[in-house]
Amino acid sequence: MVDQHRQSEEPQATPEIERRSFIQAGLASAGTVLASSVLHSQIASAALPPQMTNSAAEQIPRRAFGKTGEQVSIMGLGGYHLGIVQSPDLAVRLVQEAVDAGVTFFDNAWEYNNHRSEEWMGLGLQGRRDKVFLMSKVCTHGRDKNVAMQQLEESLKRLGTDHLDLWQIHEVIYENDPDLHFAKGGVVEALDEAKKQGKVRFVGFTGHKSPAIHLKMLAHDYPFDSVQMPLNCFDATYRSFEQQVLPELQRRGIAALGMKSLGGDGQPIQYGVVRAEEALRYAMSLPVATTICGIDSLDVLRQNVGIARGFRPMSSQEMQALRERCRPSSGDGHLELFKTTKKYDGKVGREQHGYPPSEELPL
Amino acid sequence: MKVNTTRRDFFKVGAGAVAATSAVSANSNEGFSSIASGRSAAAPAGDAGNMIYRRFGRTDVHVSAIGVGGHHLGDVPTLDEAVQLVHEAVDAGITFFDNAWEYYNGKTETILGRALRDGRREKVFLMTKVCTHGRSGKLAMQMLEDSLRRYQTDHLDLWQIHGIVYDNDPELAYAKGGVLEAFDQAKKEGKVRFVGFTGHKDPAFHLRMLELGYPFDSVQMPLNPFDANFYSFEKHVLPEVNRRGMAALGMKSMGGTAWGMKAGVVQAEEMLRYAMSLPVATTICGMDSLDVLHQNLRVVRSFQPMTQGEMEALRVRCAPTAADGRFEPYKVSLRYDNPMTRMPHGFPFDHTQREVTEMLEKTDGPWLMPETTPETSRR
Repeated sequence: MVDQHRQSEEPQATPEIERRSFIQAGLASAGTVLASSVLHSQIASAALPPQMTNSAAEQIPRRAFGKTGEQVSIMGLGGYHLGIVQSPDLAVRLVQEAVDAGVTFFDNAWEYNNHRSEEWMGLGLQGRRDKVFLMSKVCTHGRDKNVAMQQLEESLKRLGTDHLDLWQIHEVIYENDPDLHFAKGGVVEALDEAKKQGKVRFVGFTGHKSPAIHLKMLAHDYPFDSVQMPLNCFDATYRSFEQQVLPELQRRGIAALGMKSLGGDGQPIQYGVVRAEEALRYAMSLPVATTICGIDSLDVLRQNVGIARGFRPMSSQEMQALRERCRPSSGDGHLELFKTTKKYDGKVGREQHGYPPSEELPL
Repeated sequence: MKVNTTRRDFFKVGAGAVAATSAVSANSNEGFSSIASGRSAAAPAGDAGNMIYRRFGRTDVHVSAIGVGGHHLGDVPTLDEAVQLVHEAVDAGITFFDNAWEYYNGKTETILGRALRDGRREKVFLMTKVCTHGRSGKLAMQMLEDSLRRYQTDHLDLWQIHGIVYDNDPELAYAKGGVLEAFDQAKKEGKVRFVGFTGHKDPAFHLRMLELGYPFDSVQMPLNPFDANFYSFEKHVLPEVNRRGMAALGMKSMGGTAWGMKAGVVQAEEMLRYAMSLPVATTICGMDSLDVLHQNLRVVRSFQPMTQGEMEALRVRCAPTAADGRFEPYKVSLRYDNPMTRMPHGFPFDHTQREVTEMLEKTDGPWLMPETTPETSRR
């Protein structure tokens, strides 16, 4: 099952990436704080983003999807938000306009909005399926591979296609999830089977809670093609996926997929700590294949497409300055509630674990 | 700074077990606790024969294996009852008394001071916590004077930094002019004997405090069988504290709330026994009534450490419900962060929280204390 050699044959999947110690300026300015080197050396993990193609002024650039040889748009359309817009017509229009603007990466999950997200995306992709890199997520939350294979059939049907480009294990957020997923007869076996049947091309996993849980998944050395995680300028200094998981993915040549670039619900923007554009640019400047954006209106789509078109990554100095600016307000996690509370933990996942719904908890 | 850095052999049992397994128990009283005979000079006479005393880190001091938590003293309905609770605890041989400068705006320190005057102060190991939450060492020294005055004593046995719960707390504590400089000064002036820090949020923050190298005498943390499975202090911090010969102080042995017990997953007695079976100097228990004190004393008096097997079985039993952290709300909800810790950081308040309302009502309360006019702390 485990394809060990895949992990080792290309330790540096994107050798053109230069590792730079671009935190030096920040270190010097923090000289009044004792032992700052200990604190800041942990931040200095990010390398320059992978090289982009398709990067002319009016185009949305693309980046390598790990070491697969595939390319995906640096901005992806999030499936969850597609299912909460007012009408299927608007959802279809969002999908069509995104594809026509050059967005190729499409995110979804079997469980989003009682399957409406997949259905509406399927409608929008009619006639455009071949232009996109289509992902959905499997939502066993600890159940067996038969449940997974059944969910795959349902996802394919709703999305109106015979295969997914990427199928990921959804919401790996509880301490015992890695054990459940890798258990005999678990969802990881379904990933193998689906690949063998040609129904999915690539596989990965997602989660918004804890870098440690992601690392526990990776420690199984299963040949995941991608890993999805929250990446934003607050994450950089709080329970950080950027510091702890991203370098490991680079080392293994696994495609990193960023999400929650605005902190999950845009709270940092409401609080006036950052502007939406700089937060999105920060996320897109990390060494990721794509940044998945929740888009619930044509305005938001156009705004994001505007940022992605002709995108030039932030300089290392700009990124460091933004991390420093965010650090004082990142420290308690109130701008990343998906890490610090139960608020973002999905209902289906909690049910499957036997946990009460998050809204019933006095937390 | 004049702490004894000699490594004693007291923790060898614990340290060896730590090396073998990350989740270690004190499955023998030997080397850990000394029943009655090993108690400190400060230990009381009389009815205290059944109390268990353990060595406080690498020092020569011994403390009782359970401690009275300061916060819950503020929940006891009347002052008389609170005083009686402290008296009974001392008379039963409990020597470890926890508190914090900010609990109930100083009320619990005042209660404890009142209860310990008339001869009981000398019998106990008296702790309180300093609540700078990132502010200056100068402010810390003012808080120390407040605490000593409320306690009616001239020194503390232990002074700890309260609430290392935010990512940048270690950096702020170690900053120039920060609270650690107050630690040095207070020790030099003979106002505190030992120093440490506390926090309930994330093992990573505790480890960073240790990594930065200050010679703390003690470290306080949540320890219970849910913790063993989720952002675990037991797995990540406890071995390191013992390796360094510091005193580990356990708290939240019930999970901070009774939810795990209400859900029928665990019982109170086994929770306390589990916590006490870990390699800690003491387990601090919140006690808001004489009944709870008596119940805890019963557990202590009949205490035999759990075996490794018993402890593992309890951890395994708790693992499925521990995995989302809901039975340890202090780790997974911002509503369990004391607003007095949020305020100096400039983090927004949750206005549905009772503590926030209470704090904001006290417009002359210490929470308003600005750095520039420290005299406002003198109420």
